[in-house]
Amino acid sequence: MDMRRQLALVLAGLMLAATLYAFQRGYGNIRRLFPETDADFPPPGAEQKTEFYFARLRYPNVRASGIWAMRGSWTVDYPKADRQFVQGLIRLTRIHANPMERVVDLTSDEIFNYPFVYVVEPGHWDLPEAQARKLREFIDRGGFLMTDDFHGTFEWELFTASLNKAFADRPIVDVEDSDPIFHVLYDLDDRVQVPGIVNYPFQKTYEYDGIEPKWRAWRDARGRIAIAICFNMDQGDAWEWADNPHYPEKYASQAYRTAINYILYAMTH
Amino acid sequence: MFEFLFNYPLAVYRKGTLVFSSGWSAALLATVLIAAAAGLFWLLRRRRLEGRRLLALGLFEWGVLALLLVLLWQPALSVTVLKPQQNVVAVVVDASASMALEQRYQEARQLAEGAVVADLKKRFPVRLYVAGDVPARVEKLPETPEAQRTDLGAALRQIAAESAMLPVGAVVLMTDGADNGGNLGPDTIESLRRARIPVHAVGFGSEKAERDVEIADADLPARVLPGSRMLLTVTLRQSGFRGQTAKLAVRDGDSVLAQKEVKLAGEGEPWRETLALDAGNAGVKTLSISVVPLAEEANKRNNAVERIVDVRDRKPRILYFEGEPRWEMKFIRRAAEEDGQLDLASIVRTTENRFYRQGIRSPQELERGFPASVDELFAFQALIIGNVEAGYFSPAQQTLIREFADRRGGGVLFLGGRAALSDGGWHRSPLAEILPVGLPDKKGAFRREPATAELTRAGAESLITRIEEDPEKNMARWKALPYLADYQETGAPKPGATVLVEAVPGVRLRHPLLVTQNYGRGRVALLATGGTWRWQMAQDARDQSHETFWQQLLRWLSGQVEERVTLLTSRQTYEGGEAVRIRAEVRDHNYLPSTSAVVSVNVLGPGGVSDTLELAPSRTEAGVFEAEWRAPRPGSYLAEAVAREGMEELGRDTVTFRREDGAQEFFRTEQNRELLERLAQQTGGRYYRPADAGGLAKEIELSEAGITVRETRPVWNAPAAFLLLAGLKAAEWLVRRRWGAV
Repeated sequence: MDMRRQLALVLAGLMLAATLYAFQRGYGNIRRLFPETDADFPPPGAEQKTEFYFARLRYPNVRASGIWAMRGSWTVDYPKADRQFVQGLIRLTRIHANPMERVVDLTSDEIFNYPFVYVVEPGHWDLPEAQARKLREFIDRGGFLMTDDFHGTFEWELFTASLNKAFADRPIVDVEDSDPIFHVLYDLDDRVQVPGIVNYPFQKTYEYDGIEPKWRAWRDARGRIAIAICFNMDQGDAWEWADNPHYPEKYASQAYRTAINYILYAMTH
Repeated sequence: MFEFLFNYPLAVYRKGTLVFSSGWSAALLATVLIAAAAGLFWLLRRRRLEGRRLLALGLFEWGVLALLLVLLWQPALSVTVLKPQQNVVAVVVDASASMALEQRYQEARQLAEGAVVADLKKRFPVRLYVAGDVPARVEKLPETPEAQRTDLGAALRQIAAESAMLPVGAVVLMTDGADNGGNLGPDTIESLRRARIPVHAVGFGSEKAERDVEIADADLPARVLPGSRMLLTVTLRQSGFRGQTAKLAVRDGDSVLAQKEVKLAGEGEPWRETLALDAGNAGVKTLSISVVPLAEEANKRNNAVERIVDVRDRKPRILYFEGEPRWEMKFIRRAAEEDGQLDLASIVRTTENRFYRQGIRSPQELERGFPASVDELFAFQALIIGNVEAGYFSPAQQTLIREFADRRGGGVLFLGGRAALSDGGWHRSPLAEILPVGLPDKKGAFRREPATAELTRAGAESLITRIEEDPEKNMARWKALPYLADYQETGAPKPGATVLVEAVPGVRLRHPLLVTQNYGRGRVALLATGGTWRWQMAQDARDQSHETFWQQLLRWLSGQVEERVTLLTSRQTYEGGEAVRIRAEVRDHNYLPSTSAVVSVNVLGPGGVSDTLELAPSRTEAGVFEAEWRAPRPGSYLAEAVAREGMEELGRDTVTFRREDGAQEFFRTEQNRELLERLAQQTGGRYYRPADAGGLAKEIELSEAGITVRETRPVWNAPAAFLLLAGLKAAEWLVRRRWGAV
């Protein structure tokens, strides 16, 4: 190996190290500003029986490698996002909601006791046929699914790959501003992209190539929204960090309002 | 024998008054009898008789003495009798089609044209009448009975009317009593009683049908929504086929809507069978309900009846008010949407100050939440009150809800919930009155605990809870339903309320779950849960239990609600010549009985029949307008009423009816002896079997009608008196001989 070639390798190594250092330092900075906690105590009132439970879907992950393996899990933002959102739901509406979330999956029939289910990062789910069919049965019986926090072309394709195992008979469509789901309680005509904390300090609000936020839906035979798809946005982070001064209030506020509208829509349509 | 012993027939004794021809008073007779008894007692005591002997001999001797004294006073009967040849006897012969059965008419003719009437003619002029569609005086009876109707009342009324100018002494009525003219009511009886005309009825035909199956009645709602389930109740009677089975079928034209194998029961007694029918598409339908005739059945023309049902294409509006977002609301809405015949508007309080409205017809509708005016609330046919406290509604709104059921005739459904029923203070509100249960005075009656729903006996029969057609399958289906998400304790059902379903949260625990009752003009139901949504979410998506239950409950609640104008006829089918009684119930803008409305009815019928009539206000009921009309020819008729107040139209309604000639003649064909006996007894006449009618001529003269004379007929010389005298003396002699005291 000649000197020039050795020098090039060293330089490349230094650059990579510098990049990784910068990345780590930035991520560390975010984590310092938005510290995760493992504390998981049931909130007061969790034991009471209520009309509404915020149910989170536990799903099998896609077996990805490389950088994609770092992302994606049903547990993202769990449980703080759920509990913090439900506090807002209880305070702002007349829904008799339980302050603690419930976790459901598609391997048992427990999901049928929770007509509203939230799924995070479905851009990394990998539903087996049987689970996809059960999800369809859940929807056909009248259940409602809200998806959140997946971004860009790659994750969209992973999302639809699982979904199409049982929902290919009708298309996924963009939801118009005039749709009741944006007006059940709050009028959400002027929506913005809700970024995750990974975008801190939020000069940029998108991830990967998911530049444009999309409010999409899979509608049932009567045209009712049955799967509400929040694509290229991260409501979960907005709920989770709504109490954090480093997370902009306008995003948190919209995330709360959007989910409240979705839940009210689910309970009335 | 009676006449031999007592000189006269029993009827003379029944109608006569006892008098004494001697002219001596009855009081003197009594005094003498007492004195005789005292004298005898003194004499017998002197003979030292005691105890039984004193009593027995005393009675015998006093009996003889008393009888002789009574005869000395010359007892007689004072009776009023018709003057011979000066009174008319009307002989009425039923010439309707039912008299053709069992040779009834031939028998009647033999009597009317034979010895019995010939006997009468010796003493009285006889007038002959036939009773059928219309009564007529005839010289000769028709060869065959062909009248399509039996109107005995009209014939008797005509005779009573004629008695004003003609001395009618009595009526002899020869009939099977199968009257279907509807004129044999108290008015007719009263007119005969006023004229003092006794009706002597001669009954023909067997009193119990032999080997026959009959559809005695069939009851269907007159109006239903398209696609509704209707409950048909068929009343059957049979004789001679007990234990056998027969096929009951309901047809709309050529298509069979329902059929059922029925086991023939109740020898001669009516029993009921029910069938649930699908009303199908909109339109006026004439349904044929029939039992397939059995072999050896004598009368097959009473095996089928027709009923008209008006399947009206309209969408009743239902208002659902929910105090907070609940899953129950979502799934009720979905069930109503799938129905296609229900129009559900809803309001839910999403936050303390916001409502979310669905199913509204304009942006302004229900803008301020629950209606506060008659105009707004009474535009709906039914109301669902969800999980909301009674105190949320103002006193005026609470009154409005009560009036909605009572005055408007709407349906009100109360649901269970954490702020509903007793947890919402409803038991202390004025609306507690309209609830079908008494509510307990406690909080915490609502429980988010699982409970299964079990049908009661009434629920097994109800159309609301008929998820499966077959009753057994339906019961099994209810048992297999997933548990309810919650239930609410209620008190006992009120008198008149019906518990259709019970909530069973555990062993030995039961609470009324679905209870219904009528209130005023409307209906009220209570469903003490907010958790039927599990029937949808916990069952296969293709399962229709939840949808069917809710659709049927909402149709029951809203489908029969009457509007401002309701047009009715007294029956669905009429015989020719019979008056169709048309009645319109008219309410004003506030749903109060209208007294100032003008109601006109346009009737359309077969062969271009068209007639317009004005209904007259009823003298006894406010807001009711009536008229009588006669259908000129057989077939189906449609009547439409329009009610106006001034220039303003209050509303309109239609009703359908049929004229069917002769159909009634083949139903209830056995002799109606009870009717004939009652008629004879109430007018002072007598009932005769044909075989006993020979005595008619003698008894008929005992009448107070027409030209009469008072006769005194002695009875002191009746053989019975002398036989009694001899019998008493012989008995005394035997007794004395036995005791050795001769």
